[in-house]
Amino acid sequence: MASTYTYPENYIAWFIKGNHLAIVTTKGKTDGTTHSQLGQYKPIDEAVTNGLLIHYYGEPNAVSAITDTPDVDNVFHSSIIDYVKSRLYQDRAGLATDGNIAGVSLNLSQVHERKWIEATKKHGANKRDKTGGTRMIRLPDFT
Amino acid sequence: MAVHSLTVKKIISRIRQSFPDAPENYIMNLINEALVELGKYSTKVEYAKTNSVADQQWYTLSDASSGVEINKVFRCDFMDSSGEYVKIPRLLDGEILTMDID
Repeated sequence: MASTYTYPENYIAWFIKGNHLAIVTTKGKTDGTTHSQLGQYKPIDEAVTNGLLIHYYGEPNAVSAITDTPDVDNVFHSSIIDYVKSRLYQDRAGLATDGNIAGVSLNLSQVHERKWIEATKKHGANKRDKTGGTRMIRLPDFT
Repeated sequence: MAVHSLTVKKIISRIRQSFPDAPENYIMNLINEALVELGKYSTKVEYAKTNSVADQQWYTLSDASSGVEINKVFRCDFMDSSGEYVKIPRLLDGEILTMDID
């Protein structure tokens, strides 16, 4: 069915609770039935085919074959190596019977962990942002 | 094609410089773990369309049932009478008088 809303932005709203998206409308009767009056939020009153367009941040696809390329921006590809190495060094530290090997492995694990955190969290925003140009407002000098 | 991107094979070969015996499947699992972690910060913007159902308040965003893997919804549009998608506002507190439970 097609929509009958000429200005949906004036009536319909959305919100999220947990894993559910709510679509509500203020369209309703001007008198009569309890809690279905005009202006009160209630479930959407229309069935519209493909009526909702949701914009979202999606999860990257998993890799399953050695020919796959990780489904994230290529600036993060080398950081994935740091993540994997930090985990593998942790494993080595846990399995080592020699205290020195365990200590060195643990240190190296932390080095790679720091590099991973720095790449993804600390400077991640700069890497993800595709906006170019100056990041400050520069006022012209009229003097 | 990007200037430089790493395939799983290249990642494994680099890791095997330090860990020659690391199993391929295990490395791949760790790569997927890293991808899940990166998904929290990534801006992989996607879109999905769905039908609205009369008198239905809730629409499941579950990965399994909807077929899409949604991390965060940041915008919703609704089709108007001329078939155009128009941005609808987000209700900030989500506390409305009547609340369906399914």
